[in-house]
Amino acid sequence: MTDTILHAENLHKSFDEINAVNGVSFEIQRGEILSLLGPNGAGKTTTISMLSGLLKPTQGQAYIDGHSVLSDAEAVKQTIGVVPQEIALYPTLSARENLAFWGKMYGLRGSYLQERIAAVLEVAGLAERADAKVETYSGGMKRRINIAVGLLHQPKVLYMDEPTVGIDPQSRRRILDTVMELNQSGLTVLYTTHYMEEAEELSNRIGIIDHGQLIALGSQSELTKTVGEFDIVRIGLEPDGLDYAALSAALQKIAGVNQALIEDDELILQAQEANAVLSKIVSTIDKANGRIRSIKIEEPNLEAVFLHLTGRALRD
Amino acid sequence: MKSLQIAWKDTLTRFRDWKALVGLLGAPLIISTLIGLAFGNIGGLGGTEAPISNIEMILVNQDAGDLGANYEEVLTSEGLQDLLNVRQMNDLEAARAEIEAGNARGVLFIPAGFSDALIPEEGSTGEEAMSGSVELYLDPAANISPFIIQSIVEQITAGANTILLAAGVTADQIVEQAELLGPAMENLAPVLTAELQPENFDFSSQKLTLNKIEVGEARESFSPFAFFIPGMAVFFLMFSMFDGSRSILLEESRGTLPRLMTTPTPIWQIILGKMGGTFMTGLLQFTILVIASTLIFGISWGSSIPGLITVVVLTVFAASGLGALLTVFARNETQASIVGSAVSLVFGALGGSFFPAENFSGVINVISKFTLNRWAMQGLTTLTIRQGGFNDILLEAGILGAIGLVTFSLALWAFQRRFVK
Ligand SMILES: Nc1ncnc2c1ncn2[C@@H]1O[C@H](COP(=O)(O)OP(=O)(O)O)[C@@H](O)[C@H]1O
Ligand SMILES: [Mg+2]
Repeated sequence: MTDTILHAENLHKSFDEINAVNGVSFEIQRGEILSLLGPNGAGKTTTISMLSGLLKPTQGQAYIDGHSVLSDAEAVKQTIGVVPQEIALYPTLSARENLAFWGKMYGLRGSYLQERIAAVLEVAGLAERADAKVETYSGGMKRRINIAVGLLHQPKVLYMDEPTVGIDPQSRRRILDTVMELNQSGLTVLYTTHYMEEAEELSNRIGIIDHGQLIALGSQSELTKTVGEFDIVRIGLEPDGLDYAALSAALQKIAGVNQALIEDDELILQAQEANAVLSKIVSTIDKANGRIRSIKIEEPNLEAVFLHLTGRALRD
Repeated sequence: MKSLQIAWKDTLTRFRDWKALVGLLGAPLIISTLIGLAFGNIGGLGGTEAPISNIEMILVNQDAGDLGANYEEVLTSEGLQDLLNVRQMNDLEAARAEIEAGNARGVLFIPAGFSDALIPEEGSTGEEAMSGSVELYLDPAANISPFIIQSIVEQITAGANTILLAAGVTADQIVEQAELLGPAMENLAPVLTAELQPENFDFSSQKLTLNKIEVGEARESFSPFAFFIPGMAVFFLMFSMFDGSRSILLEESRGTLPRLMTTPTPIWQIILGKMGGTFMTGLLQFTILVIASTLIFGISWGSSIPGLITVVVLTVFAASGLGALLTVFARNETQASIVGSAVSLVFGALGGSFFPAENFSGVINVISKFTLNRWAMQGLTTLTIRQGGFNDILLEAGILGAIGLVTFSLALWAFQRRFVK
């Protein structure tokens, strides 16, 4: 057996009528970054909440570093660091005051607490602004402090629930770099996102989650292999009142085109060999009086995997 | 203990927020100033806005002479109509029984032959010692009304006394002079502010011997603030306790409560910390109001520091418990806010934060006893107005403590149930 630090077994969670998580099982190895990739409402946050001891699973079990989330939640909480999807900070307190408060909630005190506050402020790159109220921060800075709180007590596993939502590209870049640095220094990370690029860049392995179920799990190359030789062709269209349903039906009749769907004036096709069928695709669009703005051919990626598995695009 | 850290964080946060401070401290001080000033200006008491009115009083006048009639005339005069409800009875025992039954706040007894004993007969030398007394019986269970009754009776007595002391007074002159009491009534506000020294004072039976009372006797002033400041303090305390409790729901929707629940802190400690923070805020708020009102308005919070601490701590405890209990059953913050304001207002009105509850009639009086404001006000005014000691507030302390214990524990339990999913 390898060195498994997190073990989720058939997790279920239902809220009244909704089955938010419906039988999720996976393992994370020590030192690994595992991403859960899935659209909004897929069940990522609910899964993380069960693994944090915040929600009780309706069924299933999970162990973190040998501690059961059901019977030993206290030890689990000491082992993990949680970076929630919301910015869960006190806006009228300064970053330093927030960190001091949260540190105390993890039982840290005295000079060790001060040391840790200084260290995570360094990681967040906010040592200089530490005494300003959090409400005066930009979105990216808030996100960074939100992460810093999760690192205070030096957890063995860090859960990060969509930590880059709603921030500018530089801040996102910074956060992704931070995650990789932390991982380099030995931290195990469970990361959730609905951005394919983030999952691809960060993860050792990726779990694709949809409708409360883990529909695929593996490294990026393992996953893309499952879609075979399919390429993704993206064609941007001028939005001038085309009959999209008819167009997509016509396109799917082309031999070698596997799937065709249109979202936000973008045509997304799965094709066996894009170069071979591209001219047919263009002429079909032309016949339908469509005007093409852009064409892009992508190697098989996670988007293609998701499309292949669900018939839907990985979008909000 | 992590609860304490949570409580302290909440308290600090609130007292650093100047907008929150307006509600915590500014509003109660400003509003009690406004009401207190209005009350101080009621002058002739013709104003219908007099916040204290319809005090039940009984007159037992067995005197056939002019002096007794004089008391009667003044007490039933138009100027005092709003303030007093004067009934006449013949039997002193029956009248006193009315006080015991809670139907009257005071009885003025004028014995038979009172006028004769005091007014020299025509042609007499005026050398013989003349004395007489009226008796005033006051309700020991009430704090404010008895003082008002007493002030008025003293004023009448003092007026009559002045006249009697003047040389060559005749009965006719006394009746004429009764009109002088008109202007005296104009000055009722200062009379109401006449602080009545408790040490001279037996609450169940006060004999007023005419010759003993002198006009212009130096008195400390009884300030209407001694009623309104506690009233406003309790009233605004309720608001801040509901506000404080609501911050638990706010932390839930902002995500900091779930985050707290991912730290190795037991849920009961989190809830206890949040409720403790509300309690701490209330305690600080009340303490600052006590100090500020002493400095600004010069009101006395009584001579019993242990008594004051006990009533304040238990009032805040009960109010924070009640606030939490009503919040835990609210569906969301908006609902909690509406319920909180409604309960604060209704309890304030019913519980005597604006009008002394002791003058409420029958049913309302009974209902009022189900509000914590009533007991808080009773305890506080026992200290501020009656200058009572620790032993005088034991009943109120017991009731407030019981309300606090029940609501606080129920809320602590119900919040845990609500948040553990
Ligand atoms: N507390 C809750 N009560 C009811 N439904 C919920 C609750 N939390 C999540 N859900 C539902 O469960 C599903 C999964 O939600 P979530 O785990 O937040 O998804 P994700 O994080 O992937 O966007 C959604 O349909 C969501 O509406
Ligand atoms: Mg989520």
